[in-house]
Amino acid sequence: MNSNRLGLFMQDARHYQMTYLAIFLLTGILFLDWHNNLLDYAVLIITALCIQSAGMIAVNKYHGGWWKSALITSLGLCLLCKTGSLQTTLLAAILAIGSKFLIRFRGKHLFNPVNFGLVATGLITQDSWVSPGQWGSHLILLLVLGALGFIVLAKVQRWDAPLTFFIVFGGLMYANVVWFKGWEFGVFLHSITSGTLVLFAFYMITDPMTTPRHRLGRVLWISLMSIISFVLVTQFYFYSAPIWVLFFMSPLVPIIDKIWMSPEYEWVSEKNPIIQSI
Amino acid sequence: MLKTTYFLVLALLLNTQSANAFCGFYVAKADTKLFNEKSEVILTRDGFETVLTMSNDFKGDVKDFAMVIPVPTVLSRNNIKVVDRYIFDRLNGYSGPRLVEYYDEHPCHRYDYRMMEKMSIPSMEVMEGTSGSMEFDDYQVTIEASYTVGEYDILLLSAEESLGLKRWLTDNGYQIPEKAEAILEPYLKSDMKFFVAKVNLEEYSQSDYQNLRPIQIRYNHPRFMLPIRLGMANARGSQDLIVYAMTPKGRVEATNYQTVDIPSNFNVPTFITDQFSSFYKDLFAKAYRRNGRNAVFVEYAWDLSSSNYTKCDPCATTPPAYSELIDAGVHWIDFQDVSGWGAADYDGNLFFTRLHVRYDELHFPSDLEFQVTPNKKSHQGRYVMQHMYEGKINCEGDADLHYYLDVKDRREEELDNLVYYAGWDKHKYRSYVSSIETHLDRVDPEKKRNTLVFQIKRFFRKIFMALTPLHYQYLGIVLFGIASLFFMRNVARNRQIVRVQ
Repeated sequence: MNSNRLGLFMQDARHYQMTYLAIFLLTGILFLDWHNNLLDYAVLIITALCIQSAGMIAVNKYHGGWWKSALITSLGLCLLCKTGSLQTTLLAAILAIGSKFLIRFRGKHLFNPVNFGLVATGLITQDSWVSPGQWGSHLILLLVLGALGFIVLAKVQRWDAPLTFFIVFGGLMYANVVWFKGWEFGVFLHSITSGTLVLFAFYMITDPMTTPRHRLGRVLWISLMSIISFVLVTQFYFYSAPIWVLFFMSPLVPIIDKIWMSPEYEWVSEKNPIIQSI
Repeated sequence: MLKTTYFLVLALLLNTQSANAFCGFYVAKADTKLFNEKSEVILTRDGFETVLTMSNDFKGDVKDFAMVIPVPTVLSRNNIKVVDRYIFDRLNGYSGPRLVEYYDEHPCHRYDYRMMEKMSIPSMEVMEGTSGSMEFDDYQVTIEASYTVGEYDILLLSAEESLGLKRWLTDNGYQIPEKAEAILEPYLKSDMKFFVAKVNLEEYSQSDYQNLRPIQIRYNHPRFMLPIRLGMANARGSQDLIVYAMTPKGRVEATNYQTVDIPSNFNVPTFITDQFSSFYKDLFAKAYRRNGRNAVFVEYAWDLSSSNYTKCDPCATTPPAYSELIDAGVHWIDFQDVSGWGAADYDGNLFFTRLHVRYDELHFPSDLEFQVTPNKKSHQGRYVMQHMYEGKINCEGDADLHYYLDVKDRREEELDNLVYYAGWDKHKYRSYVSSIETHLDRVDPEKKRNTLVFQIKRFFRKIFMALTPLHYQYLGIVLFGIASLFFMRNVARNRQIVRVQ
């Protein structure tokens, strides 16, 4: 029975994501002085679950694992979204989960919920922001979290997404910082080892629901995004650019999906039944 | 517990140290020993419009003074000013870490209210300047502009490559640190110009100023940063930088380093009064080490908008006024003649952030990049001394016994704070806690406090006292959320739309 449960747990990639984000959040609370925001976290998580629940009642689909994606979204918001007041926090959670039910295209939600929550709240209230410096530069910590991210990706089979992002964005940054401007390697390393970028790469652009299904389409889409982000970061000193670029490039996904067709992703694959251990 | 009736504010001036520096680097014209240890800048930003004021506490012979800082654009003459040093003292006094004193009231009854403030009204002087122009083309260095502003001769240089710039500076009598060349290069590649200033001895001798005055520059550029890397070229060890940032929107935070609120709002022992300065230094040093030696600390953050009537609480000095803010480079506020309690003599939004950075070459590989956030949360370095009620107390019931036990616990906690925040040895101060015992023996001669019943009573009393409104808020939100989740699940069940896996 127990091993069966474990098997069930291992089967669903969302469990990995949840664990991954929870580790991220706990690390922040324990080592990076984020405990002042605990109330915001509670509000975010509870609101997200309530909205998800209400949304499922509204669309008449209320199934067993309903809370998983809402929890993942709210953990993502906890990590990225900083707000000036509790009302804004509440709004962020409502917008993020609400977008999953309201903004749909051919049966699939269009925006990554966390991304939508971040950008829409920022646009509407002007009272939320992303804090790229909040992670400090605990390099080892980020490496460990990045490695954990890869385990999650192996499960979702989207390892190509962060790889593309780090090769294109990181490569351009390297060319700019080290080759062109002649800074030391440390400056380059410092510029790309931010928790926000790690989260963005391992978590936001790997979401199977809101990124192109076909690998080629995905790689091209992310490359374009990396190039635009690079220009915004280096020319306009806009440090949370990747998040905003993702928002404006999400509507391209259905078009890319039309050009490069691929079957839809399923969280718990029915083709591979649960592996029963002896 | 009754408290907070009488308080006295002691503002701390921490900038009474040796040589201060700009965030650029000094280049000595002679072999004078110069080192930058602490610098102060005022940084205001409205949109892309940025005003940077750099303080100068140069102690050597003025003819040896020179400085170089990278700036994003060529500055025109009217964008360079020399301002009076008093603004820095004003802002420092207003925003510095503070020690606050409270006196316990009689634990049985009684209250009274008094308040005292220390104020300082600084003098104000007007700046002046002249301008000229030169044209050179050598070493692939272009002199984009040349001005005499106040006591300074200022050049704005752009260069094709760093070697040429270095040669130009060396040949013109500036002693460039060995490592500076490699550091100059990235700024040139980023298309930045170099702002070079030295003292115009003629102007200086005609002026009455004892010290060199701060230089203020103004530019419009998306880049919001402070070039700290350049200053590391001739520094030994770590340097301190204080940034007084003002924006119409909210706090300023670093985008490439962690921005942390300095530990604050806790009780410290009452004997700290005359050691506060060293206490704060140790506290800062400990917070600095704890955050990996590369954090940016918020020492003060406050909404100074005209609509906010509480401009500081408690106030170390009067909050800055219109004319002072204008001198500091806050250009988006309007003068307004208002009288009344708490009212400002200006109209507009203004948020004040004081950042303290201790940087060195190893832990700060890149320049400080900033962003303006909508964060309007106040913060201040505020440390509380709570004095025990000194008179004789004899209440009915256990109120006096509880009071003395509370004081004892509080003092224990204060010593723990000393250990935790500043790393001091608490065993030196044992008498601070044990002195309460005489009071305890007086109000409780039969040692009732050691009985089990009393201990249990006290335990629950402490838990009840410790629950703050914030805890209730948490509890409320969590309970409400869980209740609504159950409610919705039931709705779903009743409508038979639950699909159980």
